[in-house]
Amino acid sequence: MTVRQFFKSNAFKSLAVLIAIVLVAGGLLAIFNDLLYISDEERLNRTLSSIYGEPVTAEEVTLDDADTETPYGTVNAAYYIVDDGNYLLQSTGTGGYQNGTVTLWTALTCSGTPENGLALTGIRKVVYDSNINQSWIGKIEPSFYDFFAEQDELIADGGYFTAIRDDTGDLNNVQTGATGASNAICNAVNSALCYFRTILTGGNA
Amino acid sequence: MNAKKYGKIAYDGLITNNATFKLVLGTCATLGMSTSAVNSFGMGLSVTVVLLLSNVIISLLRKIIPNTVRIPAYIVIIATMVTLLRMVLEKYIPDLYDSMGVFLPLIVVNCVILGRAEAFASKNPVLDSAIDGVATGLGLTFALTIIGIIREFLGSGSFFGMQVMDFRIGFFTNSAGAFFVYGICIALFVLITGQVDKARRAKHARALRVPSHEEPLPAPDETTAEEVK
Repeated sequence: MTVRQFFKSNAFKSLAVLIAIVLVAGGLLAIFNDLLYISDEERLNRTLSSIYGEPVTAEEVTLDDADTETPYGTVNAAYYIVDDGNYLLQSTGTGGYQNGTVTLWTALTCSGTPENGLALTGIRKVVYDSNINQSWIGKIEPSFYDFFAEQDELIADGGYFTAIRDDTGDLNNVQTGATGASNAICNAVNSALCYFRTILTGGNA
Repeated sequence: MNAKKYGKIAYDGLITNNATFKLVLGTCATLGMSTSAVNSFGMGLSVTVVLLLSNVIISLLRKIIPNTVRIPAYIVIIATMVTLLRMVLEKYIPDLYDSMGVFLPLIVVNCVILGRAEAFASKNPVLDSAIDGVATGLGLTFALTIIGIIREFLGSGSFFGMQVMDFRIGFFTNSAGAFFVYGICIALFVLITGQVDKARRAKHARALRVPSHEEPLPAPDETTAEEVK
């Protein structure tokens, strides 16, 4: 086959059409990706609105990389809510289905200030953010997340949550059919609790 | 003439070839997303938008795309439309975006969309393909919403998120319950459309003064027999 024959062949036409379609599609997606980009600030505002029901002022707390790892996962970001003096933490819990993770926002309630003794009093709300490999996370019902906000006594006593029923005295919270995702969610909440107790309060909680 | 043709395309998409109840296509999304009426409705509308856009584009390009590479080309077009839809939903309807989860990107492999691209859009003009896309999508939306309403009501005692009854039958929120409701809905849909079709055929036959297959042929009349002789 000569070069001229190749350029006139059906194979070349097929290749050219496919490449053209891919290029146009790629260009279109690039333009729309730019137009519909969601900034970190917008994401945070959405989360704050869904937790507090109204716009609130939040100040980012600078995290020390050495402290963000907890036995339950990682704390990604922390915010001080100026309006009510509470804290909002974004954390990723490990131990999910297929070793995956779940990332959540946990709005903590506390008393005092860092200067005169900050103490954890409970959880206001837990909001889902994202996950890795948690195919069955859709099975998690809203009541599962609400459960965390109803355990102020356990939290004030220094307790943690677990998706596996055991005798540790921790509070069990598991969604049937999504045990792995439940475990990762509990660990994400525990990460936020652990970080607050050990780092934000300076270990006084 | 055109109105009649478009009406037939729409009727086929909505009823005669209903993707969910008649062709049993897109079952994965149907079973996975029908736990609540709102999710089902959202999924149905999302598929409708993708169907409309992909059908229009594929119909426009039908004379350019070589036959040998038509399937990869269709997949690229459909995947692009789904990705655009994901971006729009994430930006403007984040709640629906979150609730649809993994089923939103999976629209790419929904066989309803590729099926309509291959069977209709690649052979018909743009307007016909657009009507087919909308009709097929609305037929799927209707079916998904019906299943979602039933499963949500029986499984959670609510209707479009509003609590109306104080009971829950967990079975209907599970996969087995989804199959059960899906099967019952298919049976009812086939029964109803069958009855309607039968009635239409009988009416049509009466209008033509030709006995339908349901009506016994009249007994041969003596005078008629004599005339024949």
